[in-house]
Amino acid sequence: MLVKMVMELEDIPGQLIKSLEPIARFGGNIKSIMHQRERKTPLGRLPVMLIFEVRDKAMLKRILAALKEEGMRVTQLGEREGEVRKIVLLVGHIVHTDIRDTIDQLNSIKGVMVSDLNLAVGSPGRESSARMTITADNKEQVGLAISRLSNIANNKKLLLVTSIEAV
Amino acid sequence: MRIAIIGFGNLGKGICRAFVDKAEFLRNTHGLIPQVVAVVDEFGAATDEKGLNLSQLLKTAETTGTVAKYPRGKRGKLARDVIEDVNADLVFELTPTNIRTGEPGISHIKGAMQSGKHVITSNKGPLVVAFRELDNLAKRQGVEFRYSASVGGAIPVISLARKLLGGNEISEIRGVLNGTTNYILTRMAAEGAPQDIIIREAQELGYAEKDPSLDIDGIDTACKVTILANSVLGINAKIRDVKRVGIRRITPDATRLAQESGQTIKLVGIAKRGLLEVGPKLVPMGHPLAVSGTLNAVTFELDLAREISIAGYGAGPKETSSSLLGDLLDIHHTLGG
Repeated sequence: MLVKMVMELEDIPGQLIKSLEPIARFGGNIKSIMHQRERKTPLGRLPVMLIFEVRDKAMLKRILAALKEEGMRVTQLGEREGEVRKIVLLVGHIVHTDIRDTIDQLNSIKGVMVSDLNLAVGSPGRESSARMTITADNKEQVGLAISRLSNIANNKKLLLVTSIEAV
Repeated sequence: MRIAIIGFGNLGKGICRAFVDKAEFLRNTHGLIPQVVAVVDEFGAATDEKGLNLSQLLKTAETTGTVAKYPRGKRGKLARDVIEDVNADLVFELTPTNIRTGEPGISHIKGAMQSGKHVITSNKGPLVVAFRELDNLAKRQGVEFRYSASVGGAIPVISLARKLLGGNEISEIRGVLNGTTNYILTRMAAEGAPQDIIIREAQELGYAEKDPSLDIDGIDTACKVTILANSVLGINAKIRDVKRVGIRRITPDATRLAQESGQTIKLVGIAKRGLLEVGPKLVPMGHPLAVSGTLNAVTFELDLAREISIAGYGAGPKETSSSLLGDLLDIHHTLGG
């Protein structure tokens, strides 16, 4: 299973490697690391987002225990993610065209879930922007979700920006 | 080879400068001695059967604003008269693009072909409006017709596809084909500044036209998609067949949200059977199409080679003269030179 985790690291040398070591030690397979130095928390910590694969819940438990022992702060722990993820952007009056409905329409497709949404609300009268992560059990369902979203975007006059990479 | 140049803007001047600077190289390496016998701009023409002195011509155009002031040059002399009357082997058609009518480019190209002259053009208008007609006319007249500089500036997109990748079936071409929009999107992502401010700065730097809509509404990219569809994929397409969205609605927030997920927004042109499209797309950082600034890039999907990508400068007189000169040498060698 895939795990998405956000940790907050002290801004001193060696913290990133210290945070990764327990994952590797217990057999986790790290897929991606996003280390954002420019996005310090109010307490001066640096968030790092990890996605890694574990064999089962027990493996994840051992990793979490080891991280705690090392004094690492885990601030977010993602649920089990689907097999296929697709990130898209939306620009337009996203909130006023009922974002709840947009998400519900996608979630109503079997095996499809909107698993992440980042919204940047535009200043008054301006269009908003959003980044949406769609996860699904397989490629066909993601394809279905994207074409549904494309229809929704058409109806709600939103600009849909998809990836050039095939699903 | 005896050459006439129609249109003496940046590209016309650029190719002349290349002829001057590289005269020895062209002669020694390729056995090519380009002899420019006529140059026409919007005000008139300079002609000399024995070959114009290009350094002097460039200087004349620079100081007086027209080639007509060259010794024995003629003010008001028309391009179509020169094309028909001049004793030349080849015509460079480098006049400004009109994507609605294709004129005056179409008339110039037809006139040249009908009088048995080979043609090289950078002009998208004639290719977008009348590709088949011009391609067929060239074949009927037994003349060579090249247009590498119309897509990708200095990048040899068309000749790479048609010649070196000729053994492949090409299923899809994707590309960042417009330097202006790429510059705007790159700066929006880097600085988080609103689009209108960056467009204004791009205009001041000469990267964007006074009316930037051809670029930012994706029309220029759609022209290039149309040309690629016709010339490389053999699809008989018109610009109206291209589904088109520009970058006007891309917000600084959208570029930031893309970046936070390890991606970048690019205006991408896509050509494949059943789909001709221009629109903003998410491109993963590190992907061959994730080029920054005014750079262009193109990716081909192929049956044998699988994927080939190429990137480089998509505009500029010196850079584009690489493509114009490449076409000239191609014709020179095709003719047994």
